Amino acid sequence: MTVSERIEQLKSEALSAVSSSASTADLEDVRVRFLGRSAELTEIKKSIGTLAPEERKEVGRSSNLASLEIEAALGSRTEEVAAREREERLRAEAVDVTLPGVPVQRGHLHPSQMVIDDVVDFFVGLGYRVAEGPEVETDYFNFTALGIPPGHPARSMQDTFFLDEGLSLRTHTSAVQIRTMLVQGPPVYIVCPGRVYRRDSDPTHTPMFHQVEGLAVDRGLTLGHLKGTLGAMARHVFGEDVEIRLRPSYFQYTEPSVELDVSCFVCAGTDPACKVCKGAGWLEMLGAGMVDPGVLEEVGYDPEEYTGYAFGMGPDRMAMVKYGVPDLRLFFEGDLRFLRQF
Amino acid sequence: LNWLHEYLDYDLSAAELVDLFSLRSQEIDGVYRLGVTDGEVVVGEVVEFGPHPNADRLSVAKVDLGGREVQIVAGAPNPYPGARVAVVLPGSVMSNGTKLREAKLRGLKSYGMMMSERELGISADHGGILLLDDSYEVGRPVADYFPVGETVLDIDVTPNRPDLWGMIGVARELAAILKTDYRVPEPSFEAGGEPTRDFGLRVEAEDLCPRYDLRRVSDLQAGQEAPLWMRRRIYAAGMRPINAIVDATNYVMLETGQPIHAFDAARVHEGIVVRRGRAGEKITLLDGSTRVLNEETLVIADEERGLVIAGIMGAEDAEVGEETTDALIEAANFEGRNIIQTSQKLGLRTDASGRFERGLDPNMVAYAMDRVSAMLTQAPGGKPADDTLSHYPEPVEPWGVPLRLGRAELLLGMPVQEDEAVGRLEALGCEVEREDGVLWATVPTFRRDLRREADLVEEVGRLIGLDKVPESLPAVPQAGALTAAQHKIRLLRHLLADLGLSEAITYPFGPERWKLDLGLDDGVVALENPLSAEGGTLRTSMLPGLLDAMARNRAFGTRGGALFELGNVFFADVPLDELREAALLFRMTGETGAHDAGGLMGVREVGKVGVVLAGTVRPAGWNVPEIQAGFFEAKGLVERLVPGARFVPVARPYLHPGRSAMVLVGEEEAGWVGELHPEVAGKFGLRGWPIAALELDSDLCHPDPEPRFEPFVNVPAVARDLAVLVEERIPVGDMLRLVADLQSPLLAEVRVFDVYAGSPVPEGYKSVAFGFTFQGQKTLTDEEVDSEVGCIRSKLEDEFDARVRS
Repeated sequence: MTVSERIEQLKSEALSAVSSSASTADLEDVRVRFLGRSAELTEIKKSIGTLAPEERKEVGRSSNLASLEIEAALGSRTEEVAAREREERLRAEAVDVTLPGVPVQRGHLHPSQMVIDDVVDFFVGLGYRVAEGPEVETDYFNFTALGIPPGHPARSMQDTFFLDEGLSLRTHTSAVQIRTMLVQGPPVYIVCPGRVYRRDSDPTHTPMFHQVEGLAVDRGLTLGHLKGTLGAMARHVFGEDVEIRLRPSYFQYTEPSVELDVSCFVCAGTDPACKVCKGAGWLEMLGAGMVDPGVLEEVGYDPEEYTGYAFGMGPDRMAMVKYGVPDLRLFFEGDLRFLRQF
Repeated sequence: LNWLHEYLDYDLSAAELVDLFSLRSQEIDGVYRLGVTDGEVVVGEVVEFGPHPNADRLSVAKVDLGGREVQIVAGAPNPYPGARVAVVLPGSVMSNGTKLREAKLRGLKSYGMMMSERELGISADHGGILLLDDSYEVGRPVADYFPVGETVLDIDVTPNRPDLWGMIGVARELAAILKTDYRVPEPSFEAGGEPTRDFGLRVEAEDLCPRYDLRRVSDLQAGQEAPLWMRRRIYAAGMRPINAIVDATNYVMLETGQPIHAFDAARVHEGIVVRRGRAGEKITLLDGSTRVLNEETLVIADEERGLVIAGIMGAEDAEVGEETTDALIEAANFEGRNIIQTSQKLGLRTDASGRFERGLDPNMVAYAMDRVSAMLTQAPGGKPADDTLSHYPEPVEPWGVPLRLGRAELLLGMPVQEDEAVGRLEALGCEVEREDGVLWATVPTFRRDLRREADLVEEVGRLIGLDKVPESLPAVPQAGALTAAQHKIRLLRHLLADLGLSEAITYPFGPERWKLDLGLDDGVVALENPLSAEGGTLRTSMLPGLLDAMARNRAFGTRGGALFELGNVFFADVPLDELREAALLFRMTGETGAHDAGGLMGVREVGKVGVVLAGTVRPAGWNVPEIQAGFFEAKGLVERLVPGARFVPVARPYLHPGRSAMVLVGEEEAGWVGELHPEVAGKFGLRGWPIAALELDSDLCHPDPEPRFEPFVNVPAVARDLAVLVEERIPVGDMLRLVADLQSPLLAEVRVFDVYAGSPVPEGYKSVAFGFTFQGQKTLTDEEVDSEVGCIRSKLEDEFDARVRS
């Protein structure tokens, strides 16, 4: 057998070995056996120098061709086999995708706080600042400065928790407004969110609850500004389609005083059996009014130059309405079955 | 509403009226119906009346309805042949919503129903069928004589409007809304009774009694009932008809708002004295209770004894009764604030005191006196005296209030026409003079709430209609923003929620035992008037409230959870004795004098973040183990909220002594973290549950400090591990701090990846394994890294006697 014949023979052996290999490992064996350092074909190439010159050219050419052909076959076969192996591996790695994932604990914000944040963000967007004050408040800031001197009938409307003489838990956040106006001249645009306390306990009254009050004092502020501001807020919180209306009311530190109703965001007054508005079509939302000139005088503002409006709302009640919670007491029990719903 | 029609004409349904009144004046709390809502009631004459053959308790009647005779089964036995009754016909709808049908009762047909007073909405009396007198013509609709159905509006009168406590006031208000007229009945009566001056009147407590009028009405017929129309109005107004005299006084109160009291003249000794109570004086009231008076109580007395606690309730003694024929009628004005105080002290609120406490118009007294006199001449047939004893030393005159139209337009944000404003004010009873754009309103004395320009602006605005006010937004001349502190509070809340905790909001007051159970010794702020002893003190820590909440959750079957709350805790910060007076002055008047307001408050509030982890914080998944509450779970949260904090073992009575730490930010104590002491857990009903908790000053938390870019180079990092043996007692934190203090420029990160004690580690020692990551400005050589590790290693050896494990 001539060298060239042997090359041919090796080549066809190699090609058939390639095509019968079923794994990348087998193919690697084939490569080593036929193209490796000590493979016969390699030996032949190394011995070319010992051949007769006329043979050299022929053997050189055919051995190179054989190598290239085997490599090409190895290459394409390896790709084929590797792809199949990859597929098999992926098939074997399949999981039951319906099994639950690794639990990522979801936390919850308190529903009242969500409403407070929402309302506060709305007013911050309009240019208001957020003012805060102590929860234990003095008699002066909680009552007298707001036009409710000792013995005034309005004090009997609010059941107050008293502490040491002259101190109580604040019954509203209005004191914050006075505190703000005492340290700051007009214009004032603030909202005051916070906890307030009244001596009361039943399904719709808890001894602690939240208020967000607001105050604007500037030149030329009108009831129309109040109405526009609160209307925009109601639409922000309850949806673009709600309507508002003002009703006359009475508060000690505003004159004129109004109450704001928001049209029922569930039924818009079309369902007499509506659970949210109880068929009334309107939801009582907040109290407001033009700041009483006496209050402005008390803090040293000139009521002839400046007018203002103030409003106060109950974010807990708003959350009750918004999320359909029937009992206010649930808000303050720390019950996870409740908190985890928000 | 039928009553209201007596004073003005209007054409509105009840629903329209409710809407209109709500939007222009006062809130309507409820709408009630009495009697027959819809249908026919006719006068019938009983022709036959006898027992029902098939039922013991029923009777059967043949009733003539004027030309036709029907059979009616009745439950009451009081009708008799010849009696006139009100018969409601089948098809009528009663106030409770039931529709009456022709029915068979125990085998006998019954056509309609003979009605009791209650069924007609006249009184609560359901004892028998109402018998009508002969003036009622058989066959005529009863409605020709009195309304058979009534709609009652319950108005929620705001405290500034005592004038709406009477029907006339409501009529005046409605007339002003509707721009129509209203009528006040002219009281006319024939006097000539026994003279009032047989009795005396002496007002000793003038400061508490601005006006007192007394008139005698004699020749009354004893034991009369008030006329039916009056009784049904009193009943509809929510009061109880009693007798002709009392009903007349109550009726006029409901009509005018002026409470009126009637004494039996025969039981009054010499005369009426209006005086303060005497210490220890007792009085037995109509409700049977005996009250002890003091000098703050205003008493209406005769020369011998107290007869009435003024403005609130009378004594049994001198009340008018069945046999009264001679009465002294009081119409008076009492100082509202004193009435409130007395009423609160006695825990007694009546129809009268509720009206007096708002401050009534003393000028209303005269009209009410005449009106009740006229009423008393009717049913009980009395004769009012010609004279009235009156004490009214300082008559209240109408006062003037200016209203600038420009001011009204500014406050209301809408145009106000002068004629419109004048018309509205006049409709309310003001006299108005115009003077260059200023309206001078003379306010009637029954509108004591209208004192200032703003008060008039409100009246004009609401009567024009608040719906006419256009919506607009002010141009706010500042940028809105949260302060850094406010922003941080919000960040903390969102962060904790994102980390899987639930936000709770709990009451900041709790029982005394909180302090005891936790072994706290800070000054606690006590409530003077808690709702119950369970809420008598303010919290000094967020912990107990969250523990109570957790115990509640456990009781309802949860396997664990994580709660957090942001809120204030309160410490008593009692001012020094010498500052006591200054503190009181500050609290009452806002004056700080030369002192710092903070020191005068007496209570210090600190904002806190509290967290309680309990039981299974994260349940096991099919491929992950569950996580239980524990020290390191809680500590991880602290490290997230206060990066860079230091932890020092601490002894707190409520914490596990070996698993608790103080949290330091710099040298400042920011709070604590630890596992709950098992004994404390037991006291809070959490026995056997793993509990970890933390509390931090929210001010000192800084979860996301302002980022600062550090340049980095793209060279490979080199990781090296180092395990050392140290004595068990050596804190790993100290070792970590030592490594950090080296400030190696090559050390990019260090972490502890294993701590192990037990075989083969010798007794009393532990193995601590560190993983270091080194990275330099250029690719590090092995020698450089080795030298750095060697440096760390020799430091650990020197400082902690550490031995490197091989």
